[in-house]
Amino acid sequence: MNVRTLLDTPVPEPGPAYNYAFLDEGTKREIRRAVLKAVAIPGHQVPFGSREMPLGRGWGTGGLQLSLSLLGEGECFKAIDQGADDSVNAVNMRRLVAAMTDAEPVTDTRAATLVQSRHRIPEERLRPDQTLVLQVPAPEPLSWIEPRYAQTQRMHAERDYSPMWLYLYESIARHGEIAVGANYPVIVDGHYLMSPTPIPRWDVPKLDRAPFLTLLGAGREKRIYAVPPHTSVVPLEFEDYRFQVERFAQPCARCGATDAYLDEVLDPRSGETVCFTCSDTAHCELRRTEAQR
Amino acid sequence: MSAMLSVERLTRRYGPGCDRCLASTGPAHGTNSCPHCGTVVACADVSFDVEDGEVLGIVGESGSGKSTVAACLAFDQPPTSGQAFLEGFDGDMLSADAAARRRLRNTRIGIVYQTPQQGLALDVTTGGNVGERLLAADWRHVGRIRARASDLLERTEIPIARIDEEPRAFSGGMRQRVQLAKALASRPSLLILDEPTTGLDVSVQARILDLIQGIQREAGVAMVVISHDLGVIRLLTERTLVMKLGRVVEEGLTDQVLEDPQDAYTQLLVNSAL
Ligand SMILES: Nc1ncnc2c1ncn2[C@@H]1O[C@H](COP(=O)(O)OP(=O)(O)OP(=O)(O)O)[C@@H](O)[C@H]1O
Ligand SMILES: [Mg+2]
Ligand SMILES: [Zn+2]
Repeated sequence: MNVRTLLDTPVPEPGPAYNYAFLDEGTKREIRRAVLKAVAIPGHQVPFGSREMPLGRGWGTGGLQLSLSLLGEGECFKAIDQGADDSVNAVNMRRLVAAMTDAEPVTDTRAATLVQSRHRIPEERLRPDQTLVLQVPAPEPLSWIEPRYAQTQRMHAERDYSPMWLYLYESIARHGEIAVGANYPVIVDGHYLMSPTPIPRWDVPKLDRAPFLTLLGAGREKRIYAVPPHTSVVPLEFEDYRFQVERFAQPCARCGATDAYLDEVLDPRSGETVCFTCSDTAHCELRRTEAQR
Repeated sequence: MSAMLSVERLTRRYGPGCDRCLASTGPAHGTNSCPHCGTVVACADVSFDVEDGEVLGIVGESGSGKSTVAACLAFDQPPTSGQAFLEGFDGDMLSADAAARRRLRNTRIGIVYQTPQQGLALDVTTGGNVGERLLAADWRHVGRIRARASDLLERTEIPIARIDEEPRAFSGGMRQRVQLAKALASRPSLLILDEPTTGLDVSVQARILDLIQGIQREAGVAMVVISHDLGVIRLLTERTLVMKLGRVVEEGLTDQVLEDPQDAYTQLLVNSAL
């Protein structure tokens, strides 16, 4: 076959280029099976065959695969990145899901059936009919203290978490406090030590006995784990050094909220703090429109 | 009176092992390495009892299997065969499940290793090293953990002001004393001391030996003291086992074993020490 005949050969009609929700049915079924197992063993990391996605590993491929394998007709999908609906990453996530599924993209937390998030849990209390999907950069909480996989597996199996307690003790001995900001280690359902992903400490209590299902997906590390509804999620703490959420000296400069997690806004030139504003932009927006009415 | 610790036919081999390992090694064969398969029989058929409050010595030349016995009793090495019974624990502790072994190790058995690097995390604070056993026993109050660690450091003559320093900065004698404090943290029923004074200056050795004697008088724990220094054995122990090439060749009251050794090997040991 020469170049001319090749060029003259008619190109076949383009069929549907992608399967519904991008992933093939076998993959979606595998992910749902992993989800069922994860729900059955709260906080336990279930391996799954993470696929190549049209975005780089480490950019939420685990969360995206969970969302795509769950979203069907009549669902409303919200994506946030550190609380914001309008960050490039969240916008791309929403666009991709809108193009590939029948789910309707939304920003109002109350309207969403599935919220996919990086590093935040919405301020709006999620309901039992809503699902939270968290993107996970590093699923293994014990990796702070133990790099060997076989060892962390053994520690989880035996609930040998005293090295983690020693890590917290050392933090207190050296810094006078538990110097853990985001990604605060928690015990799920009285058994497994779990990384709640780099959410601020502010968001950790929202997981405890929450009425909604939380699914956590690590694409690069190929792990899925879950906090089913009404499951206890308890941060590690000492009797005399309690777990504490962040405190803010000022209310949100936009909506006046005093009961929300705030981001510090810095002057780009001087580097000084200008003000604090809500990290959950949809919640902030909602409060402002309600105040105007 | 039932024994605090009862060890029955403890055997540990390193290597593939064959049917003839045990019959081809030991003092009678002049080797601990099986000529048929090359397996090292580090210890074999070692049996002994230690009563509550008693101090048992284990002596023997380098490589005779003393540390291997200690490592098996502290669950650092799984035995190839044999059993060990600890008072108050149901059944053979060596074949207990991993969680039960870890609990015993953290609460009822204390060990001071031959080298501090084995027993201490040199990049963890002194208080953390001592407190680790308390954390493992579910202590969840930092103030109480530090109070208990301070008591133990005081008892082992480490300045309390150094509780938040890493033992990396400590002398060899201080590190051994931190190991002692750690081993004692959870009030163990059995304390294993593997060459606690080896490699230390004579004056430092004397202080540590005083300390061990004091602890034994106060706490009344059952102790196994391993040494190839007969002076240490004579000072600390009431009964002694002599090991050679992985086997026990003689045992008896320490005074008798050292004054009137029956076994030719023990005679050699005693004479060379004089
Ligand atoms: N991990 C191992 N792999 C292979 N052989 C080992 C191992 N550990 C110990 N051995 C061998 O087992 C035998 C007993 O060693 P062990 O350390 O118990 O002797 P020891 O009596 O404590 O000696 P020392 O007085 O030098 O401390 C030695 O021949 C040693 O080489
Ligand atoms: Mg040794
Ligand atoms: Zn052999």
